Amino acid sequence: MNRIIVLMVILASITFNMGTVAASESDTMGLSPPVFFILFLGISTIIGIVAVLAGVGGGVIFTPLMMGFTPIDGLIIRGTGLFVAMTGALVAARPFLRRGLANIRLLYFAAVPYATSAVIGALLAVYIKETMGVTGEALIRLALGIIVILISLLFIFAGNRIEYPEVKKVDKFTERVGLAMAYWEESVGRVVSYQVTRSWVGLILFSGVGLISGLFGLGAGWAMVPVLNLVMMAPLKVAAASSKVLIGIGDTAAIWPYIMQGTIFPLFAVPCMIGLVVGTIIGAKIMLKVKAGFVRYLIIGIMFISGARLIMQSLGMLGYI
Amino acid sequence: MVEKPPKPPLSGIVYGEIAYWIVLTGMVISIIGIAMYLSTESNYIDSSCLLSGLWNGADSGTIWKECAGGYEEGNWYLKRLSSGDGVAMLGIALSCLAAVFGVWGSVISMLKSREYIFIVLAFIVAVILTASATGLISLKH
Repeated sequence: MNRIIVLMVILASITFNMGTVAASESDTMGLSPPVFFILFLGISTIIGIVAVLAGVGGGVIFTPLMMGFTPIDGLIIRGTGLFVAMTGALVAARPFLRRGLANIRLLYFAAVPYATSAVIGALLAVYIKETMGVTGEALIRLALGIIVILISLLFIFAGNRIEYPEVKKVDKFTERVGLAMAYWEESVGRVVSYQVTRSWVGLILFSGVGLISGLFGLGAGWAMVPVLNLVMMAPLKVAAASSKVLIGIGDTAAIWPYIMQGTIFPLFAVPCMIGLVVGTIIGAKIMLKVKAGFVRYLIIGIMFISGARLIMQSLGMLGYI
Repeated sequence: MVEKPPKPPLSGIVYGEIAYWIVLTGMVISIIGIAMYLSTESNYIDSSCLLSGLWNGADSGTIWKECAGGYEEGNWYLKRLSSGDGVAMLGIALSCLAAVFGVWGSVISMLKSREYIFIVLAFIVAVILTASATGLISLKH
């Protein structure tokens, strides 16, 4: 199974590089719209499968990979990246809310700063594109490249998450807001009641994560889960479930400035959306049969290369290379 | 004594159900639309021109200008529902409205709970999403 995944990733990278070659030749390499549709459906399905196996959301891989290895315009990719991250999160939210795993109080508490700054990030993305042209695009690619490399380092060095963090003291602000809840833990057959703390730190961090998500068209699970689990001390399952639901809300706020600006094209957005959703479903099914550790390092490698490529592109656009 | 699973909050279930079914409906509509787009000639944005624009790194403004004669601001697809791309974009937009309707449904179902802080927070989120979706928050030209 591991060999199949490696083969799929190699095929995808070859396809991406074909895209880059095509850009330099300024033609479509004989691609017709149906072939383009199937090509991106396949690539997105692979991204979805690999992302699930590596334990990350598809959105965080989609945008840097597409921006680094395809000739498609950056603003179009970032808008589409937000759209695919949003649809995936909305589809996944339902079971988490039905089982009470996602903390609805925590959700609305975090959604206010997250959605607000995500909209600001999206507006900023459009503004930079319109006013700064190539320089703006270069700066966005440079910043995204650095962020993607930092995320890959985060995956390596901050991988230790706590299943049931122990909250020794709840600060007054968090206590007054009242974010404590309980859920049924199927694996141990009992109710887990939990507290959270440092919610004011969470507010600041959610604002930063929202801005990055809206500006760069990234999913935000990579940052949201550590904030909820390691900073606010929510149980890991609650953090993962709440983060997924929160992405659906925050990215909805951020996607509309992109739609209003006409940067979402169905020919590109629909195959990517179907591919990521289908890939996520397939990935979840084969997850039990493969060693995920290997895939996780593969994803970290891909993200590192994408980040480096984005930085190289930006330096080229700025005339430094 | 055997513990019973706690009842999940109604506002969460309402949000999850509304968002799920709307996004699913939107996805189905967008798939129907894209099938029409790829199989018929009656499209608003010429598919070959769009593909060429995308593959050559053109920005959205250039693509709209070259492939559709200019961009109609905002919800252009509502006037183009006889075309494949209009239907596909309607599906995409509907998917992007799923959370907006979901949060409003959640706010209404919260009213009975008397958790005033969270009613206010959910209301603020609903207003932000609605303002974004209606174009109230956007860059004016």
